[in-house]
Amino acid sequence: MTAHSTTAHGTPIEHQGHGHHWETSIAPFAVVFGVFFLLPLTFSMHFVYHNTILTAVFAGIGLPLILFGVAKWIDEGLTQKPLVAGLAGVGMPIFIVSEIFIFLSFFATYWMVRLSTYSWPPEHTPEMPVLLPLFMTFLLITSSVTVHIAEEKLEHGDLAAFRKWLVITVLFGLAFLSCTTFEYHHLLEHDFLPSTNAFSMIFFSITGFHASHVFLGLSIFIAILLPALGGRVNKTFVLCGSIYWHFVDVVWIFVVSQIYFW
Amino acid sequence: MSDAHHGFNLREWIFTTDHKRIGILYLIGALSAFAIAGTFAIMIRMQQYGPGMQVFDSGSGYNTALYFHGAAMILVFLIPALTGFFANYFLPLMIGAKDVAFPRINAFSVWLFYAAIILALVSLVIPDPPDVMWTGYPPYSVTTEGNTAFYVFTVHLLGFSSILGAINFLVTVIYMRAPGMGWNQLNMFVWTILAAFILQLIFIPVLASAVTMLLFDKYLGTHFFDPAMGGDVLLYQNLFWFYSHPAVYVILLPAIGILFDVIATMGKNRIFNYKVCVYAGIGGVLALAGEVWIHHLYVAGVPDWIRVGMMITTLLISVPIGLMLMSLWGTLYKASITFNVAMHYASACLFLLLIGGLTGIPLAMTVMTANLGQTSFVHAHFHFVMALFSTFAIISGIYYWFPKMTGRLAEGKLAVVAFWFNIIGVNITFWPLFIIGVQGMPRRYFSYEQFPQFAPYHHVATYGSFLVALGMVLTLINWIKSAFWGVKSEANPWHSKSLEWTHTPNPPGPGNFPHDVTVSADWTPYDYVK
Repeated sequence: MTAHSTTAHGTPIEHQGHGHHWETSIAPFAVVFGVFFLLPLTFSMHFVYHNTILTAVFAGIGLPLILFGVAKWIDEGLTQKPLVAGLAGVGMPIFIVSEIFIFLSFFATYWMVRLSTYSWPPEHTPEMPVLLPLFMTFLLITSSVTVHIAEEKLEHGDLAAFRKWLVITVLFGLAFLSCTTFEYHHLLEHDFLPSTNAFSMIFFSITGFHASHVFLGLSIFIAILLPALGGRVNKTFVLCGSIYWHFVDVVWIFVVSQIYFW
Repeated sequence: MSDAHHGFNLREWIFTTDHKRIGILYLIGALSAFAIAGTFAIMIRMQQYGPGMQVFDSGSGYNTALYFHGAAMILVFLIPALTGFFANYFLPLMIGAKDVAFPRINAFSVWLFYAAIILALVSLVIPDPPDVMWTGYPPYSVTTEGNTAFYVFTVHLLGFSSILGAINFLVTVIYMRAPGMGWNQLNMFVWTILAAFILQLIFIPVLASAVTMLLFDKYLGTHFFDPAMGGDVLLYQNLFWFYSHPAVYVILLPAIGILFDVIATMGKNRIFNYKVCVYAGIGGVLALAGEVWIHHLYVAGVPDWIRVGMMITTLLISVPIGLMLMSLWGTLYKASITFNVAMHYASACLFLLLIGGLTGIPLAMTVMTANLGQTSFVHAHFHFVMALFSTFAIISGIYYWFPKMTGRLAEGKLAVVAFWFNIIGVNITFWPLFIIGVQGMPRRYFSYEQFPQFAPYHHVATYGSFLVALGMVLTLINWIKSAFWGVKSEANPWHSKSLEWTHTPNPPGPGNFPHDVTVSADWTPYDYVK
């Protein structure tokens, strides 16, 4: 017997854990093995074994698995009711604690490397842009405001406005990533590669790691947006996405001040 | 009782999001890793039997064995058994929760753990296996022909799994305790798991970044650990031990937590100094865990002020651990003890932790470590704490909760005989290493032609390890036999007051509790003496 109740819209909601059957979900399994193929195996095939065919095969297995798993996971998250509602809003800040420590170890590495050399920046470092990072800061801070507005709209039940402001946020994020791509392209053209010197490895690892967070934040927003087009929204999920986005924003302030303006 | 499906359904196990089944999945993975890494331990011991090549063809074969033994025992057996299996199965039951806060993320964690196992096993059969021990120190790990990437990714997968586990269990304990359950009414095991996950959450990311830099250095040509190009080779050791010393407490604390639950229940007694133990003991370890790592780098060339500072913190951290050990002994005071198999192992643990702890004190001192640091004295010390104490605590916990998981008892002659093989075997194996360690037997070497005088001690140690292997095999046989054909257990065989025994059937069905659980203000899980 499964316990059922209905939402205001009349769609059935399953209660997790209340029922007398074993709960299952295929989503976590699919995502894990998608990640397993896409990251460790694809990386190893390319960088360790230089095997192009297997690289493509493993990536080709991994990516669809992840997309399928994530879609399934989101679908379940929108239809099932958790044991205690809203706990993800606490889980996300706890996750961010561990994120902070990843960034801290990269920054600590940077400080250790920089403070133990006599001249900085090291040889072969081209002139770093000044205006571009300022513009990128503007983009991110604005996007933090727009996602906040989106949340407000959702709080007032205005789904159309919520979607609009979320789209605007995603556009700002995409603009940020385009700036990153442009800047990387420019630096690589001037032979400033990750392996060039002590600054390049720090620069690419910290900004790259941050950019990957922007990418993840955008993916979360798109994962919220797609079901929202059909009118399905989970407020806790939106809250988590927005907390994460604000975190990515705050980290960028540290990245900019440490990497570009010190 | 539940009207769940009876019989075995593979699909329901693989895609399960139930915390008990996920716990069992962790147990299967962890014990498999224990068996394989244990086999490597025996091979390492056989190689050390005499000087020269004994079982391996080359030093690099020996290095791979060391890599797999160390990495698998710590990262795939000890940590997942304690924070994966025990935490998953028993923590929600102890606090009266129907499941963890995020069941799907829990399933995600366990399959990340299995992905790591697969990667670790694959790394044994590829032509260029990792040979970087479990530490992966550069520059060797960057210049070696071995596949350091698989080492890095194994750490990544396990680390991510643990971080998600940490989020899950922190939220579960904070928000999903049964109505009425205050913080001072938690099982000691719940407290220690909470502390272990706080450590995992904060420190794993640092290890993850360290091995990521290793990956970049080896495969993308960066110079994080290359002093010639402005990097810093000690940076890796700092980042690595910044996690890996607290990892010792990630293992030690839950092991102590299991012992508290076993000893208090079997002794029908209160926890001696519960609040001191929780707030000063566990709290003290939490406060100091991140400020001791330099004692792994005493001879690596760090400034004296850091060495002396961290020597003091290292000595200091024995105080909270001593408090917990005293509480364990104090819990035995005026107890009426049922000396079952779990209690056999628990009392052995009290002895093993004492030896392991006391031999750690000289190693905390910079002057002693300068001489002892690279000898088998260290080897014996950390095996007493990590391998023997923690493993015995795990075995004790499995015996204690065996009826909960299977509805059957695993007691009996076979279990006791296996126990004596184990406890005698481990002492025969590791005491000789203390002795020759003091005399200068270097650790990590695949051969010791320069020191033929140590061969007799190695003979003894190797024979001791055979005894342990026998004891472990018998233990495993006993568990498998008992799980299927053992004596049926009554509902609460140890007459415990803890929720997992009083409010759920053996084994618990979906949703755990037939009726919602509430506890009164004067209830505690150790409510034996009024």
